[in-house]
This record gives sequence, structure tokens and C-alpha cells, in this order.
Amino acid sequence: MSTVAAQIQNRKNADQTPVVEYRSIRKQYGEFVAIGSVTARVNKGEVVCLIGPSGSGKSTLLRTTNALEQIQGGELLFDGKPLPASKAGIRQVRQRMGMVFQNFELFPHKTVLENITVGPRTVLKVSEQEARKRAVALLDKVGLADKADKYPANLSGGQQQRVAIARALAMEPEVMLFDEPTSALDPETIGEVLNVMKRLAEEGMTMIVVTHEMTFARRVADWVVVFDRGNIVEQGPAAQIFDNPQAERTRDFLSHLGWDG
Amino acid sequence: MDFDFSAVLDSWQYLAGGLGLTILLSLLTVILSLIFGIAVALGRMYGPRWLSVPLVFYIDSMRAVPVLVVLIWIYFALPIVTGISLPPFWAALVALTFHICAYVAEIVRAGISSVRAGQTQAGLVLGMSEAQVMRKIILPQALIRMLPSLGSIVSITIKDTAIAAVIAVPELMKRTETVSGQSFRPMEAFTVAMVVYFLILFPATRAIDLIYKNIAYRGRS
Amino acid sequence: MNLDWSVVWQNSGALAQGVLITILLTFCTMLIAIPGGIVLALMRLSSSRILSGISACFVEFFRNVPIILLIYWTFYVLPVFTDISFSPFGTGLLALALNVSAYNSETFRAGINSIRRGQTEAALALGMSHMEAMLKIILPQAARRVLPVLASTWISLFKDTSLVSVIAVGDLAHNALEIRAQSFRVLEILTAMAVIYWVLGYPQAKLVDRIYKKWGVKE
Repeated sequence: MSTVAAQIQNRKNADQTPVVEYRSIRKQYGEFVAIGSVTARVNKGEVVCLIGPSGSGKSTLLRTTNALEQIQGGELLFDGKPLPASKAGIRQVRQRMGMVFQNFELFPHKTVLENITVGPRTVLKVSEQEARKRAVALLDKVGLADKADKYPANLSGGQQQRVAIARALAMEPEVMLFDEPTSALDPETIGEVLNVMKRLAEEGMTMIVVTHEMTFARRVADWVVVFDRGNIVEQGPAAQIFDNPQAERTRDFLSHLGWDG
Repeated sequence: MDFDFSAVLDSWQYLAGGLGLTILLSLLTVILSLIFGIAVALGRMYGPRWLSVPLVFYIDSMRAVPVLVVLIWIYFALPIVTGISLPPFWAALVALTFHICAYVAEIVRAGISSVRAGQTQAGLVLGMSEAQVMRKIILPQALIRMLPSLGSIVSITIKDTAIAAVIAVPELMKRTETVSGQSFRPMEAFTVAMVVYFLILFPATRAIDLIYKNIAYRGRS
Repeated sequence: MNLDWSVVWQNSGALAQGVLITILLTFCTMLIAIPGGIVLALMRLSSSRILSGISACFVEFFRNVPIILLIYWTFYVLPVFTDISFSPFGTGLLALALNVSAYNSETFRAGINSIRRGQTEAALALGMSHMEAMLKIILPQAARRVLPVLASTWISLFKDTSLVSVIAVGDLAHNALEIRAQSFRVLEILTAMAVIYWVLGYPQAKLVDRIYKKWGVKE
């Protein structure tokens, strides 16, 4: 307990109100325990990276945040309040969280611009004109202003993922969830996506990122949570996790990836 | 062996009228089957058990029973049960729609389930309702993927309307039989009909293939 | 409405005979149409433009005309061209075989085309001949794709055999319609006919679903 307290002392935005709080979250698929008991918090303006081996529960935890997965135990707080139980309540919460998927999941029957406007148009009932204006600005921000009228099939993976980020941002979310955003990309396009994410972090966006990109986590994350077999083995500031890991499992995991500091 | 097409060609207006009825019957059948087929597929996939179980039974039964049998039963037997007898054209429309609707429902179901789950989630995380996700994200993609199969439904329907001749709907097939009987030139009459059907069906299937090739990428997620 | 179902039992012999003819016709048609389809597919895929052109014309023509019309046409035209008078069964068999061969040809062609080029190249790289590559590598994989489609075609064929009733082949539909005309028990006989088709066809449809589940290729 004392080490946890010490870790939290180190935290940059420790005084800030938490945006998302996971309290003893438990997730099971039938008999299989995907998450044993996980407690963590994400403060306003922080970038929190969830790392760990495949199947360790980090993606599952991310997907409980916006109720894509139901939890079987514990409590999940968003903006200080538990996730609502009603479908309408969950829709409200999802409007305030953006999510980026490993496989982009752009809508193939819509142009790039339409992909970005469809959320604001259908959910927030923003006018066509207003939605377009915002979409064009977002495309400019992710460096794809010239692709507005293309279909997703005509873009590279990195470009598609940048459009997916713009699509999520169009809802003006309070927190962004990234589920292995670069895992499906060719090596040469990973950088362009990470750069967009880094800029977003610098602007003060609250971000929860499941990733295997250790360099990104080391440079950008304020707080890193290490998972193994459904539980957190260690969490702390990026510098501590990467330069001076406390847990044996963390050292194993990092050395496995060839991380040498 | 001598050919004499003059008797058949002299009746071209009569045959053209039959062709008109073939096209009308096909068109109405396709439109109604599409509307009901989508409804049946959605009821089967998302409806409560008391709805989905009978719908599955209906679909599988239509896959098992010949359209001729459905047609004859609706025309001859249904009036005995209900006391209402339908004129041939309407009996044919009901029977063909009842049969083909089941096929459309299967195609729609396959199309919807082929759109992967991530697309639904991507819609949901934007805060859309399930109905909005279905309408804006899933159905449009599913429709594009279904296009080749729905195209073959058009051609199956046109071919199946010929069976309506059995209950004396005066469409192309029936009128060909009539001309054949009156002119004593069955070979010429049926050959002309074959060519006419081919000239409608072949371009129809080709056109759908072409359209699909040009929009297929919009259905690929 | 008074119903008298005894008429069904009184005519059970004729109905059973009709069932037999329906099944026999389905079997015989497939027996012709599988080799027929393979030959047409190989012609279509061959490097000879003449062979592939003939095959394409044949397939497109017989896929794109109504079967009931094809049956009439075979019935009236065949004797004139060949000077042989076929039995109604033979006529129906030929008409159905023409149609189903055309469909099977497309099935086989799609099956063979669906196997990636890399598979042939991998086989050739192992030192196999083109023939060996086709027989040992391509065809077994293509079979997986072809089998479910053939099963669907089988069911369509089973149902389409009812159409030969229009040229008085003694199949189930024809015999049932005859009994209806003689006995005037329209509802009973037509319902019995529908139920018999259902009893025969329903398990087949379910079997096709299982074949698809087991063998069907997911994209």
C-alpha cells in the first residue's frame, strides 16, 4: 500500500480530478477470468498507456470504459459518476468518449468527409454545414485535407487511422480511447499516426492508450500501467516503469521486447 | 424439316402483350419480395423467439417446396380454405412473392452478418443507437454486398414467372403455348420465346455484375 | 368445408410412384450434370478460344432461360432435330441436365479460379508437373468450395423436377395433379402433395446448411 501511495505522490496531475476511475474491475467470459481485479485512475489531461503481453486484459479494460464490454464486479466511474445502466445513458457517455480501433473500422460506404460528419450529424444533430466545417478543420489537423472526397478503400492504413482519429475527435470528446491504434499498420506508416497522437497529447487531451509502441509510451505517457494475466503488476510514471521497473514481470516483459532503456 | 416463323411473327403483338405482363409480374414480385424479405430477415435475426422461430421454419420450408407447388396450392386450394378466390395474376403474385421473399430474407441475413462486428462498435462508440447503426452503417454496406445475389433474384423471378402459365396467367410463356397450339408451329413458337427470354435475362445479369464491380469497394470493411 | 383425407390413402400407390420418379429424375440429372459441368468448365478454362467460346455460349444460354420453357422446347424440338422420339422422362431428364450442367460448370470454374495462383506455383516449385499440381493441390482445395454449392444446386434441382409434370412425366407433381382432376378432392390432394415435397425437401435443406457450416469457406 505504501508503494502505491508513493507512486501516486509522483503523479503529475495528482491534484486533478480523475476523468476515469477503475475500482476493482472484474471481467469474466463464462469461467475464464479476463480481468481479475484492476484499480487505476486517469486524471484530466493525462496520457495513460496500458502495456503488457497479448491477452493480458489491457484491451478488455479499455473496452469496459465505454461499455463495449460489461463488467462483472467493481465500479467504473466516468467524471465522478458510475457508468449508467440504461442504453440511453450509455449512449450519452459514449458521445463524450472517442474511440480508435486497431482495424480503423472506417465506414467503407462513406467518403472520408462523411465518415467524420456522420457522428455529429446523426447523434448531436449538428447542421450539415457546421459538421462539414468542423470535419474539414479536423482533416487539416491530421494532414489529410486533400482526401476529403476519397473512399477509405483508396487510403493507406496510416491515412485510414488518421481519419479514424478525426472521426472520433469530431464528437469533441473529453477522453480518447486508443485500442492498439498502430498494430495493424505497415511499419512505415506507424510514425504518422503516432505523431498525430503525440500532438493531441500536447494539446492536453486526456488519452488512454493500449499500445505495444514502447518508445511512444516512454516519451508521451504520464502514467503507465503494466498488465499481466488479467491483473496490474505495476503502475507508475513512464520514467519509473521503463528506467527503473520494480516488478519482476515488468522487467521480463520489457526485456522480451528488447527494451534496453 | 421446314421452318415457318410467319405464324409466330404475325402474332407478335399478342406475344408482346404477354411479355409486358411477364415484366410487370416480375417487377411487382421483386419489389414486394425485397420489402418483405428485409422485414423477415430482421425479424428472424433480432426478433423475439416467438417471431424468429416461425420465420426460420417458413424460410426453410420455402427452400424445400417447389414454387410450382406453392403456386398451385394458393390458386386451387387456398380459395377452399378461405372462401376467397384470387384471379390468376394475383394468385401468381402472392405465390411468387411468398416463395422468393424467403430467398431474399436469407440473402439479407447473410449480407448483414457478413459486416463485421467492429463496424457496429464503431457506430456505437459514436453514441449512435442500435437502430441508427443498423440504418446508417450496417444496411448500406450489407446491401452493396448483397447486390450480386439480389441480381440473381431478379433473374430467378423472371424465370419463375413463366411457371405462372400453369394457372393460365396470360404472360409470355402462356401466350407462347397458345400461339403454338393455334398455329401448329410449336418448335418455332417456343424457339422465339427462348430467344426473347434470353435477350432479357442475359443483359440483366451482366448489368448487375458491372454495377457491382464499380461499387464493390464501398462494401469492403 | 368437409374434408375427406381418405382419398390420399386410396391413391398412396400413385403418389409413392411419383416420389420415386422425382427422386430418380433428380439423381439421373445430377449424374449427367456433374461430368457435364466439369467438361464445360475445363473447356471454358482451356486456352482454345473456340472451345471456351462454345462453352460460354452454352452456359449463358441454358442459365438464362426459364426451365419450364426449356422443358417444352426440348419436348417439341428434340424429336424434329434428332428423329428420335424420347420418352417424357428422357425429355425431362435432358432438359434438366442441360440447365444443371450449365450451373455446375460455373460452380466448378469458380472453384478452380478461387485457388490462389501461389498454390500452383508452390506445387511447381516442388517439382510437380502441371497435371500433378492440378490433381494433388488445386482440385482437392477446389472441392471444398464446390461441394456446398453443388448441394444447393441439388435442392434447386429436386424442386425443379416438379416442372416436368407439364409434359406428363409421372413425377410426384404430375401424379398428384392427375388424382386431383379425377377425385375432385382438390384441397386434400394438393395439401398432401405440398407436405410430401416438404417432408422430402426439408431435411435436404437442413443438410445443405450443415454442409455449409462444415465446409463453407469464410471470406
